[in-house]
Amino acid sequence: MTDIETQGTKTDKGWRDRDGFVGPFQPGVGPRTDPKGEFSTGPEIGQPMPDVQCETADEILLDLHAHRAGRPALFIFYRSAVW
Amino acid sequence: MKEFDAQNIAVYALSYDEADALRDFRDAHDISYTLLSDPPSDVIKTFGILNTLIDADDHPWYGIPYPGTYVVSADGDITHKFFDNNLAVRAGPEQLLNAVLGRAAIGHSEPAAAHSEPDLVQDVEVSVQLAGPSLTPTVQRDLIALFRVPDGSHVYASPAPQGSIAVDVILDPCEGLVQRPTIRPQAQSHKLAGTDEVFDVHHHIFELRIPLTVNSAARGEVTLSGQVVWQACDDEVCGIPVRQRFEVTVPVSASPHFALGSKDSKGLEPNAMTHFMKMSQRRKKD
Repeated sequence: MTDIETQGTKTDKGWRDRDGFVGPFQPGVGPRTDPKGEFSTGPEIGQPMPDVQCETADEILLDLHAHRAGRPALFIFYRSAVW
Repeated sequence: MKEFDAQNIAVYALSYDEADALRDFRDAHDISYTLLSDPPSDVIKTFGILNTLIDADDHPWYGIPYPGTYVVSADGDITHKFFDNNLAVRAGPEQLLNAVLGRAAIGHSEPAAAHSEPDLVQDVEVSVQLAGPSLTPTVQRDLIALFRVPDGSHVYASPAPQGSIAVDVILDPCEGLVQRPTIRPQAQSHKLAGTDEVFDVHHHIFELRIPLTVNSAARGEVTLSGQVVWQACDDEVCGIPVRQRFEVTVPVSASPHFALGSKDSKGLEPNAMTHFMKMSQRRKKD
């Protein structure tokens, strides 16, 4: 069972986390719900990249491996383009 | 991105944002890589990286992944992945490029392709530099200690035999620096001639890498100083441990832009707040 990282210090500019990053949210709350210790990072190194079918920003269905067409690739999961 | 395009590396970035929000983001930042829209977090869940520490009714935060990057080979296999416990920290472009091109953590007994010059060193030589032009808050770059070891010699890898010193890079404390564990190459087993003793060593050319970023306490420039330590031996003689100081000064560059809360947000991404309100409301209805 993964724990939530809650180490943080209130400052006059916001909340400082254990690495010294300052943000509006308290560590352990909302978008700052960071895992403490081990957490799931998905498929392992050496495994095939899973199939992905997903809509693009242009609302076209994309198949990752077909689109990649034999090229090496980076596949980035990020939290949000909006916030 | 130019370097990724030049190397014919496909780049994809997936989030739970709606497609129209991604189009605005793409236009605001002139993004050329492929943005993928996963509002129900289906792909995120398939990969097993949904942030389940967030309550399912905590909107709009529920549905986000643990952020990270997979490096996929031409054959479709995962060769590296970058995840950090601090969800604000992300792999820098140089780290990713090196991972894709296979230059990560050289550790071969044969010369690596990037270092094809003849090995003429008489003693261990070490150079230390940052793999990148600057340090940027939340973006990781590696401090690289590149070792060149004379033919016929080796340095102890970690863990070293009792009484010996393993190769290491030790940074001095530095305000604002955010450091992660050192990345070491695969060691080779070495059997001492005439004995049954076997221990782990590095030969020839190899790198130790320390992933670094900075927080807001770092301003202007940062001096990365410390010492590199090693103990070199050949089959007859072991040298005394060596400690060599280094100092590298690098500029600190501005954090990556984020839409909400930024002074530039209204000009650069005028619809960001509208998208934020819409995604919050949509998720409450689901």
